[in-house]
Amino acid sequence: MTETTLFPSKQWFQALARLMDKDESAYRDLGPLECTMVVKVDTDAATHLYEVVFEGFKVQSVRELKSLADAKPEHFVIEATLSIWREMIENIRANAGPDLTHTLNYLTFPDDPMRVSGPDQLEVDAFYRYNQSLQRFFNAAAEVPTAFAS
Amino acid sequence: MSKYPPGKYTPAVEVGLDRMREMAKGNFDLKWMQSNPAGWGHKVTPGPAGLRLRDVDTGYYGNVPEHGSTHGSMAPRGCEVPPETKALPMYTMNEMSEVWAENAGLLYDEAVVRQWNSVTDVPWDKLEKLPDDIERAVCQMCTGLTEVEFVAGDMPAKWLHKINHDFHEVKLFLASQIFDEARHLDVFRKRALANGGGLLMASPGQEELLAAILEAPDYTTASALMHIFGEGFVLTLFRQGEFLAPTEVEKAIFRLCMQDEARHVAYGVKHLKYFLERHPNRAEEVHKILDIGEQAIFTLTLEPQTSEPRAILAGGGLANIDVGAQRMAFIYAKQVKEYLRRLEIAGLNREPRLTIPKEIPYEDLAA
Ligand SMILES: [Fe+2]
Ligand SMILES: [Fe+2]
Repeated sequence: MTETTLFPSKQWFQALARLMDKDESAYRDLGPLECTMVVKVDTDAATHLYEVVFEGFKVQSVRELKSLADAKPEHFVIEATLSIWREMIENIRANAGPDLTHTLNYLTFPDDPMRVSGPDQLEVDAFYRYNQSLQRFFNAAAEVPTAFAS
Repeated sequence: MSKYPPGKYTPAVEVGLDRMREMAKGNFDLKWMQSNPAGWGHKVTPGPAGLRLRDVDTGYYGNVPEHGSTHGSMAPRGCEVPPETKALPMYTMNEMSEVWAENAGLLYDEAVVRQWNSVTDVPWDKLEKLPDDIERAVCQMCTGLTEVEFVAGDMPAKWLHKINHDFHEVKLFLASQIFDEARHLDVFRKRALANGGGLLMASPGQEELLAAILEAPDYTTASALMHIFGEGFVLTLFRQGEFLAPTEVEKAIFRLCMQDEARHVAYGVKHLKYFLERHPNRAEEVHKILDIGEQAIFTLTLEPQTSEPRAILAGGGLANIDVGAQRMAFIYAKQVKEYLRRLEIAGLNREPRLTIPKEIPYEDLAA
């Protein structure tokens, strides 16, 4: 039986971070990152927050946050409901990468069903500035058999 | 008879020949080896992403003078400049505040590592035959963007050669931008020609804004108008382009361009911030140029060759252009919101001065 990793969880983002390490030469081709991404997952019962700090071609740290106030001051947030995150991840897994309507930019551009926000606009702009690398980071979900919290 | 009789050559050549005669006799100068003792023995540690400007421009080499050196030569910052070095009159932008942004070096490093090319980095083999209305919409969008990209390279090129060499971080960043913009105009033009269509109609409304950028009275106002205002709006158009892309080809193009554009905007915001912190009394000049820009962009945004192709793509075809126009109505408000928020970081409270509506409620207009 294939072992699955729960989404959302710190372990799930750590699994992507390990895949990023393995894939370092591809990230080198894309260029370095210097940003902090907070992933916000809303379920009916609760809100889950995960902070992923990127530096150079690696993830420097992954933390689960109690509140957004605990995040590094310079960050951007990508938020969506669990069902939307699930749809995106399952789409990536089914196609070994997102189809035309499941890229990060596609899902966030109209602020619905996903939304990007940040303490200031330049932080939000970092999401645009590193978009290829961030997309690649999530594309690695294709290699992470994932179970979803219900 | 000597091959070099006195008087055959100019004095400059004679000096060179004298020097070669001395060298031929084994008399070398070697004074340069002991020059610039303060700058010798510099220690550098590469960071996790390689050897960046910020890793080498530290200590002695990290001192950026507020007033660029008056020797006015091309000598790099931090070297010893011999007193006989000729001053050149062409470097007229000698104040750090005129050009500086704290992120210029970082953005340059990022730009050179994030280079891509339109020859091999776009999956052209994934182009597919599209319905005629969709192909025309894509080609018109690419025609308009090609037009815009020309000015984005011309503006930094217009100022670059005037900037004092002590501000190499800025010069390098602007050089990287010129090349980014070359790639952009190249890739959009290429896309228009690559799939059985071609270039469609230029945009007279666009020309007005583009001219205002090139005619701005000084670099900072030109930068506010282009880097923050114009490129901020274009950044949203690139995001929209990715959103509307009918194939993987346009998706890749817009994602790559989006990243570049966000760097240009980031420089503009930090430059204006640096400038206004030192010259708060000059905020009015920036406001005035933004007045012009806002009027021009409003005309441009609603010009048919700009808005209609996007509405066709958003509606999924000409038959649904009205649905598409409604679907894309939110983009204008998004552009204005992000523009105001970027100016806020730079220390410019634009909202009370805004000369265009913050949003255009599409349904109200249709009513
Ligand atoms: Fe551009
Ligand atoms: Fe640009």
